[in-house]
Amino acid sequence: MYNDIIIDNFSHPEFVGDLESADHQFEIGNPVCGDRIQMQVSLDGDSILDSRFRAWGCATSVAAANVFCRSIIGKSFAEVSARQTAEISAMLGELEPSQQHCVNILNELHRELSLAVSLEEG
Amino acid sequence: MDQQHLQGYFDYNATTPISKGVALSMQPIINLFANPSSPNRYSVNNRAVISQARENLAGLLGASSENIFFTSGGSEANNWAIKGVLFKHLSHPGHIITTSMEHASVLDTVKYCVERLGFSVTYLQPNIDGHISVADFESAIQANTQLATIMFANNETGAIQPIEQICKVAAEKAIPVHVDAVQFVGKRLVDVQQLGVDYLSLSAHKFYGPKGVGSLYIKDRDSIEPLIHGGGQEFSMRSGTENLVAMTGISIAADEAKKDLVFWDRHCFKLKQQMMTLLENSPIALTFNGATNYASALSNTLNISINGIRGEALALRMEMLHGFIISVGSACSNNKTKQLSHVLTAMGLTEEQVLGAIRVSFGCFTDEQQISRFVDALVTEVQQLLRISGSEPS
Repeated sequence: MYNDIIIDNFSHPEFVGDLESADHQFEIGNPVCGDRIQMQVSLDGDSILDSRFRAWGCATSVAAANVFCRSIIGKSFAEVSARQTAEISAMLGELEPSQQHCVNILNELHRELSLAVSLEEG
Repeated sequence: MDQQHLQGYFDYNATTPISKGVALSMQPIINLFANPSSPNRYSVNNRAVISQARENLAGLLGASSENIFFTSGGSEANNWAIKGVLFKHLSHPGHIITTSMEHASVLDTVKYCVERLGFSVTYLQPNIDGHISVADFESAIQANTQLATIMFANNETGAIQPIEQICKVAAEKAIPVHVDAVQFVGKRLVDVQQLGVDYLSLSAHKFYGPKGVGSLYIKDRDSIEPLIHGGGQEFSMRSGTENLVAMTGISIAADEAKKDLVFWDRHCFKLKQQMMTLLENSPIALTFNGATNYASALSNTLNISINGIRGEALALRMEMLHGFIISVGSACSNNKTKQLSHVLTAMGLTEEQVLGAIRVSFGCFTDEQQISRFVDALVTEVQQLLRISGSEPS
């Protein structure tokens, strides 16, 4: 069974697509289940201006990518980077054991975004 | 069953809706409270209900009623057949032949007998069409082979196995054959005597009957250990006070199947051809997994791998956005493993084909309009998933 967050974000993912000019792009994947997500992000100073994704995978991982985009657009990079694991886990709602790997996907999206922006700044 | 409520149901191999006749027949039986084993006058009528149910099932299988034993369903029948035969050989555990694409109630029971009781096993592998070969079966026979347990039709692909030829080969070597016919009974004609099977499992809810009741056909009851010892019901082979409501359900389901299954089969095969034509002419790239022709596969089942998508994701979109229920054989399991269909994997499909597979199964309540709407929705959602992944055709 899928919770409403997963169903809504998987059924109508509004952030699917490509940005015309992305400041950062990164890809994550789960080698076990084969899920792949490509993420693009554009910045406006310290804020995240826009984000789009492409995903191949189960419903929960597609939903996780959409949730991630919505959660970062308009936020400062510092604000997104400060998120703790518990806060990130809660973003997907209650998951079945078979869907828990999508929390890892969401964590990884946060990590990769931090890494990408940090490398740029460094 | 009100057909309005079945517009989107394409998972008949998981379970069928209960037929109106079956549902109506079961309702008054709940008031027949008397224990059929008691000597009082109320019980006489209840014993007649059981006898009629046994007759109707026997009629569906071309069997004699004394060879029909009621169970709680297909899994119990499979467990009983395998353990019941092998328990006769506990002092000299020998060899079992089965296939790698059986239902879990067969595979897990065989595994138990191997790991806990000292039997050995050969798993026959299906070819890309989903069939095992009689020659492979013959080659697998050992001097101490004590049982062959092989499904009649596969639940995921509908592929029909050469049971009659296998029984012939087995009979020459005096090897008993158990057939899991749960997906076959009620869809095609069965004649246990012509087939030459020793044991055959079936389940009512696969042919418009209720859940919780099935049967094991046993050719020779001395060849198998009883399942439940106790009060002596079911000819002392499976004791326990009978469930008259369920027995009535399977009785009427068997009677309806005997009368209508040729019509149902013809109807389903037309729908299958319609669906295949619509899909083949659609813009999506797909492969039908396993045999699809009439003689080699069930008429109500199609297993389809769609390039570039995950079957699990497609199934959810079909249900949430269009109300269509389908089945997938593969899914995420946890962070470290995934569950790939053991049937499609055994047939030699690639991992991508297995992950992109869906099973569509329909039945007597499905009609041509539903098939058209289903294919339209499928094409829409496959294209949407390809768009999400960025691999939509330009």
